[in-house]
Amino acid sequence: MHVAPETIYSVLTYLSLLFLVLATAYAALVSFSSRPDGETASWTFPGPGKGSLRKAVGVAGIALAVGLASWIAFALRGSSRPASRFLIPEGYIGWVKVEFGVSGAPPLPVEGGKCVVRFSPSGFLKTSTPEQSMGGRDSYYYYSDSGTHALADRTSGAASLIWGQFHSQDFGSSGKHTYEQFFVGTEQQFKEQVNPTNQAEGNAARGGAVNK
Amino acid sequence: MFPFSLYAIAGILTGVHLYLLLGLTAYAPAANLLEWIALAGSLCLLAAAGISLFKPRAAARVALIACLLIWTFYAPATVKTLQTKVLRHRVVTEHSVPGEH
Repeated sequence: MHVAPETIYSVLTYLSLLFLVLATAYAALVSFSSRPDGETASWTFPGPGKGSLRKAVGVAGIALAVGLASWIAFALRGSSRPASRFLIPEGYIGWVKVEFGVSGAPPLPVEGGKCVVRFSPSGFLKTSTPEQSMGGRDSYYYYSDSGTHALADRTSGAASLIWGQFHSQDFGSSGKHTYEQFFVGTEQQFKEQVNPTNQAEGNAARGGAVNK
Repeated sequence: MFPFSLYAIAGILTGVHLYLLLGLTAYAPAANLLEWIALAGSLCLLAAAGISLFKPRAAARVALIACLLIWTFYAPATVKTLQTKVLRHRVVTEHSVPGEH
């Protein structure tokens, strides 16, 4: 049975938070409560375990910890997708979107070990290649007749020209559709797109229309 | 055995989670110092699990400190995640994507 890496990661996140809350609450309870006189060991104030039991549980716990950690790390790393090379029309500012798994559409070409995602001037692309999320260090380029040049991505912090990258899916009459999309532009332009209040403030500050 | 199990499971889960997050920083602007602090907290929690087999009260104090270290990352991360989900909802509902079918 194949389990999507996102599912494993989501479950791991929620379980981590759940057990962190439980461990914090329990540790605080035991730390700050005083043990009533004469009370025998209980779950809130346990006594030390028996010698043989301590050894058995200790060894089993360590083995379990190592096994679980190895399995999760292997499961997530082994399923990472190759990196993508996104080619965006020169000067394009706005959202771009790729739809995966479209029958009849061309597959994504692979060049130098990277999937090449070349958007049309409208910023949209359909491909028969199925979506593979997680992993891979993507790169982003503007392309034109004169060639390509790299765009600053998330590694550039606030100077990035790539924002809000996410995956989505919907279920229509023609079946399941999966997408990947992100915004191309400055941080200010991105904020103006996602928050109309910012857009109004941005327009007022510039005294003109949004620069698109 | 309850404290041992609780501390050990919490330490393993948060440790693996943080380890994977740090592994993903190759695709993020930079590794966050809080992630390293929280990872140290996870290791302390595992140590508390071991101590709990011998001195449960002392283990509880160690575990509490470890949990606070871990929360230094998880608390702001949880808030940020919730904010992002609200923001993403706005993106999906308010923005028309070019060429959308």
